[in-house]
Amino acid sequence: MTANPGPGLYLHLPFCSSICPYCDFYVLTGDPARQRRFVDTLIAEISLCTGGRWPVVGAESPVEPFDTLYLGGGTPSILAAEELTRTLEALHRALPIDDDCWISLEANPEDVIPANLDAWRQLGVCFLSLGVQSFQQQNLDFLGRRHTAEQSHRSLELALGAGFHTVSADLIYGLPDQSREDWQHDLELALALGPQHLSCYQLTFHHGTPFGFRKERGELAELPEEAQAELFLLTHRFLAEKAFEGYEVSNFATGPEHRSCHNQKYWDHTPYLGLGPSAHSFAGHHRWWNRRKIKPWETRLEDGESPVESSEHLSPTDLAFERLILALRTADGLDLESFRSVYGVDLLSANLEVADRLQVDGLIRVDSGCLVPTTRGLAIADTLARSFDITE
Amino acid sequence: MNTIRNFCIIAHIDHGKSTLADRLIQRCGGVEEREFRDQILDSMDIERERGITIKSNTVTLNYKAQDGQEYQLNLIDTPGHVDFSHEVRRSLMSCEGALLLIDAAQGVEAQTLANLYLALEYDLEVVPVINKIDLPSADVEKVREEIDEDLGLDPYEAVLCSAKLGTGIDEVLEAIVHQLPPPAGDPEAPLQALIFDAQYDAYRGVVMLCRVKEGTLRPGETIRLMHTEKEYEVEEVGLLQLKQVKAHQLAAGAVGYVIAGIKTVRDIAIGDTITAAERPAPEPLPGYKEAKPVVFSSIYPMSTDDYEDLAKALDKLALNDAALTYEKDSSTALGFGFRCGFLGLLHLDVVQERLKREYGLSLLLSAPSVRYELTLEDGSEITVDNPTLFPDPNHIDGAAEPFIKAAIMMPERYIGVVMELCRERRGVNTTYNYLAVGRVELTSELPLAEVLFDFYDKLKTVTQGYGSFDYELLDYRPTDLVKVDILVNSEPVDALAQLVHRDKARPRALRYCEKLAETIPRQQFKIAIQGAIGGKIIARTTINAYRKDVTAKCYGGDITRKRKLLEKQKAGKKKMKVVGAVEIPQSAFVAVLKADTDN
Ligand SMILES: Nc1nc2c(ncn2[C@@H]2O[C@H](COP(=O)(O)OP(=O)(O)O)[C@@H](O)[C@H]2O)c(=O)[nH]1
Ligand code: SF4
Repeated sequence: MTANPGPGLYLHLPFCSSICPYCDFYVLTGDPARQRRFVDTLIAEISLCTGGRWPVVGAESPVEPFDTLYLGGGTPSILAAEELTRTLEALHRALPIDDDCWISLEANPEDVIPANLDAWRQLGVCFLSLGVQSFQQQNLDFLGRRHTAEQSHRSLELALGAGFHTVSADLIYGLPDQSREDWQHDLELALALGPQHLSCYQLTFHHGTPFGFRKERGELAELPEEAQAELFLLTHRFLAEKAFEGYEVSNFATGPEHRSCHNQKYWDHTPYLGLGPSAHSFAGHHRWWNRRKIKPWETRLEDGESPVESSEHLSPTDLAFERLILALRTADGLDLESFRSVYGVDLLSANLEVADRLQVDGLIRVDSGCLVPTTRGLAIADTLARSFDITE
Repeated sequence: MNTIRNFCIIAHIDHGKSTLADRLIQRCGGVEEREFRDQILDSMDIERERGITIKSNTVTLNYKAQDGQEYQLNLIDTPGHVDFSHEVRRSLMSCEGALLLIDAAQGVEAQTLANLYLALEYDLEVVPVINKIDLPSADVEKVREEIDEDLGLDPYEAVLCSAKLGTGIDEVLEAIVHQLPPPAGDPEAPLQALIFDAQYDAYRGVVMLCRVKEGTLRPGETIRLMHTEKEYEVEEVGLLQLKQVKAHQLAAGAVGYVIAGIKTVRDIAIGDTITAAERPAPEPLPGYKEAKPVVFSSIYPMSTDDYEDLAKALDKLALNDAALTYEKDSSTALGFGFRCGFLGLLHLDVVQERLKREYGLSLLLSAPSVRYELTLEDGSEITVDNPTLFPDPNHIDGAAEPFIKAAIMMPERYIGVVMELCRERRGVNTTYNYLAVGRVELTSELPLAEVLFDFYDKLKTVTQGYGSFDYELLDYRPTDLVKVDILVNSEPVDALAQLVHRDKARPRALRYCEKLAETIPRQQFKIAIQGAIGGKIIARTTINAYRKDVTAKCYGGDITRKRKLLEKQKAGKKKMKVVGAVEIPQSAFVAVLKADTDN
């Protein structure tokens, strides 16, 4: 995926019709009027960037036009088509945006109706990420989703017929007590419909969410690690058999052209600009982020101020470590030569013993100059990242 | 000389020795309680807290008796714990009499008996004192019976008092004056003075406390220490009346201090005899025995940066603690430290506690060991107390370990469990006899090594707190000694090696393995933890590898958090000791080395 070397653009559209008990994104509910006011403010934030100016002092504003745009949230599909249109128009006015910009949109099954599909196509959406989560009713019920199993099928079918370049289905696995068979059944149901992309997320009980709360009270238990590992490996192996490449811990595509080229930028330190409450941005040696909650974010913008809450300067070591962490989460792995030339660390010679051991144990391999995690390695990517020393 | 009385108070722990001493001092010195505590006992926090007197606090009291006569009473304090029994002996040798203090509610206990035997060994006149008569549970009659039957003393000579309330204190003082004999000795004879204690003073050097048996000690004279064979010039002598009070001489019968320009307590030996260089006594006073450490442990600073501080702290402690020995030691797992020798477990505890509290050091101690005697195949004999120095077993012909004679007193109903405990601990010649109705004294010959390992706690548990324990060292006896190594991924962790009896090797090794398995975090590979004797594996556990350790999502907003979390975990790893490519956190060593119990 070298087709999109320019910076990426992310818009955080935080509205959902109700809040799922496992969700730890910044989300809220709000009626169309509230949504309209939000879009007004978002357009104000966009305008602050007029002329391609990135909001953080010290960050090197890239000069290339943006070539990916990701509409995330939240549930961007909940917004009326004209709100999305207004937003995109504002973007085009303020920022350099490539003609072939790869636009992704997150949608929930209940919003997938022909009229909306048409409108999104009109906007130029080529990657539709559909939050089906499961095709089985009892799983959807447990997850507190608003749509039915029937809607999961129907929406995916409709989306696939609507002419997007790539349709992706989001699935969740690792529900308490979920069996291998139950999960594999979901995968089979998804594959039967023929999406080009799948995101399979292992359920996590985040602190501060209703599920997290129930877990802390002992009412809900995550799957034991061994079972989590089994499902993880099952996912990767099963999908590999079906010609889905697991190009990242949780992401699978039928071919390189169907990968999420926007997300890819997060993993290889391509600059990205995030707008909207809680959005993060990165360029060069800086990462910064907006006020998390909608109120203070709006207040700042209404006062004509930047909604950026804070920023961090990344030292070369920070950057190198991030490169390592992120690369070890991907099937492409880490290009050792480029790592050495950028960060001055010969990773393998600095970690001879560890690297040996990990290879012998079948957790990593070195493949045409790249350090690549095996599937079992991917399952413990955090452990791998901790194993290497990059301070030499 | 007829108006001098040299005496000590002997008692089981907690029977009120310190309290009674305080009362006597107050009654004679007219000192406010708070003031005198500040004066005498300020540096003794640890001892106070533990209710154990470790260093003698000897004091001279002036007492005007009911017959109108002024007496000089020298209260010679004795350490209250078996670890310091050599010091107890020195103190007893300095006295003509002793108050045997018994708790009116607890009655006679193991140490009461042991102390009495000691006092009788030194021909001391013993007056029983029944303390704590104010307690509702006090049973004076029962204690009188025990005094009669267990101790063979005259129960009607016993003085009753409450040290806490101050009742009966005059009676105690009168008993000291009238029932204890005055010292004998000739001030003109060649000098013989017994050193029974010594303290280090930053300005004056070593202050020796001594009892002049014969002759007279005067400033300006040259003295000779008969065992260490060193000579010094006396700078100052005096009495210990709360503060040091200078005197022009100490004549036969006196108890006082001597300052003679001696730099450290290591230059002298407690129990040595001071004589005059000009006209030396023909021989030293009898009973001298060197204080030898019997328990050994390596002390490591938690943070290797603290090594220098540990070295300095030990130097300082040693100024005042001649029995503490230490030498450099190092471990691949724990870095540099010191191999230390102690008089016993309590001594070890006190030193460790002081290093932590007074010097703010965090420490790791290896499992305590006794000193073994080994005969090698070439006939030579060596001693080993440090597992890392244990020779190749093929070259060892025989091993011997120190035995103690343990005396345990308890109510009759616990005989069974205590006999079982002694059997488990390889005790031999375990016998018991009834002291009084329902009370038993059990004696057993036990390997000291078995007592080091949570024996006292076990005893307290099985006797529900009613068992009391005392011991003396006996001799060395043949033993089947092995070195148990703990291996992590086949590599030995030197700091965890131990010398143990073959029968104890497997349970001990298994415990260590299990503790390690609980505390070493999982890593990306499987970790084998084994206990071994030589090449033979006798215990094993495994820590399974991580199978799943990755977060589901890592997009724009997650990256900073992820990096910081991993950095933190990595920093934690940096502090770990690496053995066999396995990172072992400090906490694992702490957990294992603290786990000094077999189940
Ligand atoms: N009720 C009562 N308690 C006492 C008496 N004498 C000492 N104690 C208490 O017994 C405990 C041990 O006393 P202490 O003098 O420290 O004992 P030592 O270990 O023999 O020095 C302390 O809590 C004292 O307060 C007494 O006459 N009556
Ligand atoms: S729909 Fe998605 S963003 Fe909205 S609450 Fe549910 S999980 Fe969160």
